[in-house]
Amino acid sequence: MSFSLNLSLSDLLLLLPEIFLTCWLCVVITIDFVSPRLPKERLAYLSVGGLLATLGCLAWFDMNQVSGTLFGNMFVLDRMAIFFKIFILGSTILVILASIEYVDRFTLFRGEYYALVVMSALGMMFMASANDLLSVFVSLEFSTLGFYILVSYLRDDLASNEAGLKFFILGVFAAGLFAYGISLVYGETGKLVFSDMTSAPATPGLIIGFLLIFAALGFKIGAVPFHSWIPDTYHGAPTPVTAFLSIAPKGAALAILLRIFIVALGTFKPTWIYLLVAVSIVSMTYGNIVAIAQRNIKRLLAYSGIAQIGNVLIGLAAGTKMGNDAILFYLLAYLFANIGAFAVVIAVSQAIGRDEIEDYRGLGRRSPFLAFSMLLFLLSLAGVPPLAGFVGKLYIFIAAIKEGLYTLITVGLINIVISMYYYLIVVKQMYINEPIDPSPISISGPMKAVIYVGLAGTLAIGIYPQPFTDWVVAATLMFANFVTPAAAVTPPSLLIGG
Amino acid sequence: MGEYALLYILFAPFAGALALIFVSNRQPLLVRGIAASAAFVSLAASLYIFYGYDTVQGGFQFVQKFAWSKELGIALYLGVDGIGTPLVLASSILLFAGIFVSWHIKDRAKEFYIWLLILAAATIGVFMSLDLFFLYFFYEMSVIPMYLLLGMWGSHTKKYLEMTDPEGLKQRDSVGFIFNFGSNSKEYAAMKLVLFLSAFAVAALMGILLIYKFSGLNTFDILVLREQANLMNIPVLGTTLDKIIWVLVFFGFASIAPIWPLHSWSPVGHAAAPAATSMLHAGVLMKLGHFSIIRVAFEILPETTRELMPIAAVLCMFSIIYGGFVAFYAKDTKYVIGYSSSSHMGYVFLGMAALNYISLSGAVIYMFAHAMATGMLFAMAGWVYDQTHTRDIPSLGGLSNKMPFISGCFIVGCMASIGMPGTVNFVAEIMIVVGSWNKYPLQVIVAMLGIVLTLAYLFKMMRGLFYGPMNQKYSHAHDAVGTVDRLPLLMMITISIGFGIFPMHLYDVVRSGVDPLIARITHVVPVAESNEGLRSVKGAAATTDHLAIPMVSNTPITQVSEAPRGGQE
Repeated sequence: MSFSLNLSLSDLLLLLPEIFLTCWLCVVITIDFVSPRLPKERLAYLSVGGLLATLGCLAWFDMNQVSGTLFGNMFVLDRMAIFFKIFILGSTILVILASIEYVDRFTLFRGEYYALVVMSALGMMFMASANDLLSVFVSLEFSTLGFYILVSYLRDDLASNEAGLKFFILGVFAAGLFAYGISLVYGETGKLVFSDMTSAPATPGLIIGFLLIFAALGFKIGAVPFHSWIPDTYHGAPTPVTAFLSIAPKGAALAILLRIFIVALGTFKPTWIYLLVAVSIVSMTYGNIVAIAQRNIKRLLAYSGIAQIGNVLIGLAAGTKMGNDAILFYLLAYLFANIGAFAVVIAVSQAIGRDEIEDYRGLGRRSPFLAFSMLLFLLSLAGVPPLAGFVGKLYIFIAAIKEGLYTLITVGLINIVISMYYYLIVVKQMYINEPIDPSPISISGPMKAVIYVGLAGTLAIGIYPQPFTDWVVAATLMFANFVTPAAAVTPPSLLIGG
Repeated sequence: MGEYALLYILFAPFAGALALIFVSNRQPLLVRGIAASAAFVSLAASLYIFYGYDTVQGGFQFVQKFAWSKELGIALYLGVDGIGTPLVLASSILLFAGIFVSWHIKDRAKEFYIWLLILAAATIGVFMSLDLFFLYFFYEMSVIPMYLLLGMWGSHTKKYLEMTDPEGLKQRDSVGFIFNFGSNSKEYAAMKLVLFLSAFAVAALMGILLIYKFSGLNTFDILVLREQANLMNIPVLGTTLDKIIWVLVFFGFASIAPIWPLHSWSPVGHAAAPAATSMLHAGVLMKLGHFSIIRVAFEILPETTRELMPIAAVLCMFSIIYGGFVAFYAKDTKYVIGYSSSSHMGYVFLGMAALNYISLSGAVIYMFAHAMATGMLFAMAGWVYDQTHTRDIPSLGGLSNKMPFISGCFIVGCMASIGMPGTVNFVAEIMIVVGSWNKYPLQVIVAMLGIVLTLAYLFKMMRGLFYGPMNQKYSHAHDAVGTVDRLPLLMMITISIGFGIFPMHLYDVVRSGVDPLIARITHVVPVAESNEGLRSVKGAAATTDHLAIPMVSNTPITQVSEAPRGGQE
């Protein structure tokens, strides 16, 4: 392995979004220090401006197919990395817009809040580009650091502190597992870059190493059995942070999972498919069944998020190019529906001050717009046509059935029905039950913008998905070389899930 | 303009719903006007395709195809054949009638019309989809509006409030809806309907995905799949794949039909729904089941259909008798009509099971006829409920003094439902009976008993509602006098009797769709050499005998039936 640190100007171009965002972050913090009287929402718009500029730059990269690697393959900028960076930046922008009102609840450090959100986003952008185990580790910890602070931002709130502590302890534990996994893998193969590991023999040390790495990443995406931090953390954290936590890190961690499972471990598909099938089935079923018993909307969305990750893992278990496309597509659908749902939760809790499902009584009368938006977001999460979630789920199922994962699809289909129940319970509260306090709920401008973006995305992807499928298909093109022709490796069997 | 007719039918209600979003509830006339005009566009275009359908040419007409997703092999592929055309017409008639039946809705009228239009448009979408994906898409899309329509504008069954704790609102909202909703609340009905239908819909989706996978054609196009998919003789789990797919598809879609053991969501749902929703629900939503079975199972797996359709022949007896008896003893007007619908859907299954030209045509015409008859009955039950706020038959009575027009129409509705000569139901029933007699004499006898039962419970209900001593509590009830109130009933009566007296065009249209299908199903593939194969050959011979029955003189159809896959497109 040889590192070359001779960066040319054209190499720096690949890092331009990150470099720009870092500078912008410094500008935001400095402005906050220099003029403490400045209304904090200006800082929010300033951050959004920087993020938008970065987004534009990435879009330009995507259109001109800029790609390349840096630092001896540690950092890769391919179209999938660009996709995930756009995904992360998009969710960051929406989260910042959704938190402008909420930030008033923080007693201290309101300005730093935006800087921390942008810093986490920066870390996740590096995650999307990480191409070897070390850079994965560093960027993962970099992005999580911001989240540890953000989760416990409500200093006087016991739940928020508890959430932060829980997240921190389990997060550090996961980081430890990750580091141990890296050391095992490096010890066995002598390699760190994913694409160099393709021919490594399956020694016990390597298997345990990758299992540990999977556990750490499973912690990030919240798959069962690594989910235990999710409900409490989602519940206690400030709601915009919950929204952020439920979308962006999942995307970034999935980018790494895709690189590990498809690029590094593509040849071991017959082995790891059982792991993914098992985790996927358990995540979907556990998430959906436990969500039924929830009375708090944030916890409900937390468990629904666990179940959604189970769905995503179906696509990963398929292990084909189409499976990868389906994952990316599903994430897009999930982004719009989830950020929208959380935006409604924030708007309602601004007006009512609580997040219990009961508090949604009669929302259909108090604010038809919020209720209708929430209805569409929840139905999209449940997978009802003509919304994005339905196409996403079907895309994943089609990718999986081509690989003959019948058990997995059956469980996935049954879970759609289970999930419909608890989503409809919220719908029932909003529309069927009459409000106790019929006063209308007002929504701030930025919040409306977030909800409109969510609605537009949810409907557009569901009604005409072609542009989005084109995008995700192009984004995973570089995987075509690594994807195993699974049908040749494992003969399709109707009895076994794999 | 003509070739885009299907797009008008499908998208006019969607456009109407979209337009309604931007209208305020404070302008009730504008709201209703938009809804009615959207429905009218749909109705006019449906009439155009119904009378413009070329029965000599047959096959799928008014075809529209737009690529939707290249990667997944999905296209928005619309087209109607002789089976879809009358059902599209029935849907748009009932939508149009439903708008007027619910003219007096005060609470959130705009939202009501939005969901009603979406429900109807999704239903229509199923009837014209030639792509499995979109068939499922619209099918599932039609389920969710039902939840909101039932939940927001529906009504609890009697004594609901007595059964639940007056301060127990909280308890009912918690988990475990079976125990806490109160099983006669509208919330229970709505949730049961959605979960039940979704659960079986995903079974059908599994069947569709298996068809997609094992055809290996990378397409959901029904026309391609039925010509090229070879799903026969793939051994799996001790049986063959085609049987598994067939069972998944059949029971998945039969749950909405509803066939006997899967019917329990339906009467509860009917009872809780507002009148216009019940009309659409019983009138066309239930037919989605039969139609989807015909479109998916009959078209793509004809040989398996021939082998396994006796399942339906057995279950339909239970549907007819069970539904009939429960309807006889039910005390709630909407339960009576609801169970009567699920009983009558047994006839359709009988007609489908016999698998010959006459009986299947009868089944399709019956779907159309039943839509009109049950639409009338539900509209009138809704009117009575609006006036008296009860659906409890024993507490009503003597209403014919107060509402002579409604009670007169009710007699016509009952006659149509029973199948009196002169209504289109008669034509359909007689065709089912004649067509299935050779193959399933027992079932035909049961169906006859079912007609007697229908007579019994409908007359019992009619007597209970409109004759006998009147409860003075309901002396304020008044008749449907306005044009708006009378229009939907008169429209449905006219259509029911009109097609009863002049059924020829309807019959021609249906035959042009049924003939190529039956020819495909009864066309014996010589490859089958097992015992089962031989049996099916005999069955096929028995069914093809009916070709000779000169039911109604009809020259163009015999031409089509001679060419098995009657010139599609």
